[in-house]
Amino acid sequence: MVKLMKLEWKKNQLSSYFKGLIICIVGIFAAVSLMAWGSKVEDDLMFTDYVEFMSLANIFIRIVFIIFSSVILSRLVIDEYRNKTIQLLFSYPLKRKKLMQAKLSIIFAFCFFSIIISTFIISMLVYFLNPIIGFFETPVSLNVMIATVPTTFISAFMIAGVSLIPLYFGMRKKSTATTITSAVLISFLINGNVSSGGSQVSLFQFIGVPITLCLLGLLIGYLSYHKVEKLDLA
Amino acid sequence: MTYILRTNQLTKVFQGKEVVSAVNMNVKKGEIYGFLGPNGAGKTTIMKMITNLIKPTSGDIEIFGEKLTNTSYEVLKRMGTIIEYPIFYDKLTARENLYLHCEYMGYYDKKSIDHALDLVKLHNVDDKKVKDFSLGMKQRLGIARAITTKPELLILDEPINGLDPIGIKELRDLFKMLCKEYGITLLVSSHILAEMEQMADTIGVIQNGKLIKEVSMENINGEQTDYIEVTVQDIKKAAYILDHHLGLNNYKIMNEKNIRIYEMTVTQQEISKALILNDIEIESINKKHSSLEEYFMKLMNGEGIHA
Repeated sequence: MVKLMKLEWKKNQLSSYFKGLIICIVGIFAAVSLMAWGSKVEDDLMFTDYVEFMSLANIFIRIVFIIFSSVILSRLVIDEYRNKTIQLLFSYPLKRKKLMQAKLSIIFAFCFFSIIISTFIISMLVYFLNPIIGFFETPVSLNVMIATVPTTFISAFMIAGVSLIPLYFGMRKKSTATTITSAVLISFLINGNVSSGGSQVSLFQFIGVPITLCLLGLLIGYLSYHKVEKLDLA
Repeated sequence: MTYILRTNQLTKVFQGKEVVSAVNMNVKKGEIYGFLGPNGAGKTTIMKMITNLIKPTSGDIEIFGEKLTNTSYEVLKRMGTIIEYPIFYDKLTARENLYLHCEYMGYYDKKSIDHALDLVKLHNVDDKKVKDFSLGMKQRLGIARAITTKPELLILDEPINGLDPIGIKELRDLFKMLCKEYGITLLVSSHILAEMEQMADTIGVIQNGKLIKEVSMENINGEQTDYIEVTVQDIKKAAYILDHHLGLNNYKIMNEKNIRIYEMTVTQQEISKALILNDIEIESINKKHSSLEEYFMKLMNGEGIHA
């Protein structure tokens, strides 16, 4: 399985996406901190503490990485069907289920880890730069940062599940454009839910909606390969 | 004689239409099996069924003595294939493509990549991405990929498409060499008759999804003797001359005027000389050659009317 994932990685030259990953992280950080810094200049503070700052950063991170994952999804799965290279792949003496599982695992893992890594990097940047630039007044304490770790993991896992939903739309017509468009819509829809309303209500939504969507994503992932051995390859 | 591949009543229905119907084909070990048929006859569909990309509606396939099922993956290790047209990961170079192929096939002799590229005469392509290849080069690379892992059965769908005449000849020689020296069985499809004639040991003719004839080239050549056709005024006298003066037995009186002489021991000149010396007027004398093409055209047209 790991071997198959490595081969997929190599075949699609996924290492080249690391550059994009770094640009995304820097971009998200720059956007949020510019907002913070700008609002400070205007004397109308946007964020009072670390948690508020990160809540906006997290929204950006989720949106960006759902879309980013859909790009990789279309590269790994949709393009493979569209260019008919899947025909080649399925003529290898390997279980087709395994091949598909390897692909989906890469997407899931990519989304999961990039969310964690970018949250971590942005937190670190905030931690070290806040005393110098001053995004918000309350100093960041390590305890507050550590307290957010479990939520980060859970939400990264859920978003990774959600990132498989575009597969359903993309596979219907084997279209890259559909895949990415649906990813954009889904990501805005989810994060709109999360950020709107009072904190109590949105917390509930945050648990209910993403869990459902995450399970839906995983189900779509499963459905995409559970019959792959019996079906004709068009 | 052992068979490497047999199909039994193989049928495939696409949207209510029978694309392949009740095909029984038998490919012997170590031969070149030519799959001949017009476009859309079902050649590719059959090949896809053999490689498990499409599942048969009914009937079954026996390959290397085993029945092919949904989960027969091990047999794929022993086959090399090009189906429809050669497909590659376009953004990678030729060598990277072959390398990936070896990895996926679980074949670790890296020297075989060079050897395969050498066999198909693809040189200096190491840094070139496959998307910049011409169709002919892709065909060669596809064949290289199919033979890298030294398979027992090569399935090549229209391998000579997009090649120049020299390339066609090179590949024909390569196929024969692979068959003779490496003992690889080849299943090659084409709609080009002349190619099949020069290459195949057995030919399966398919039309409208039906295998209408499966015949070995030796038999065809036996059936298709050349003949000399003579048109004369006095048929009885001419037959007498042929019999008694030239000692010919293998001739056929077609009608009032025509005689076909199948025996090739005498030349046209000798026949005309003998007839003229015996005062028989010859209206025409022709050497007829009935090619494989005629044979198959007859076969296909005949079947076409029935179908």
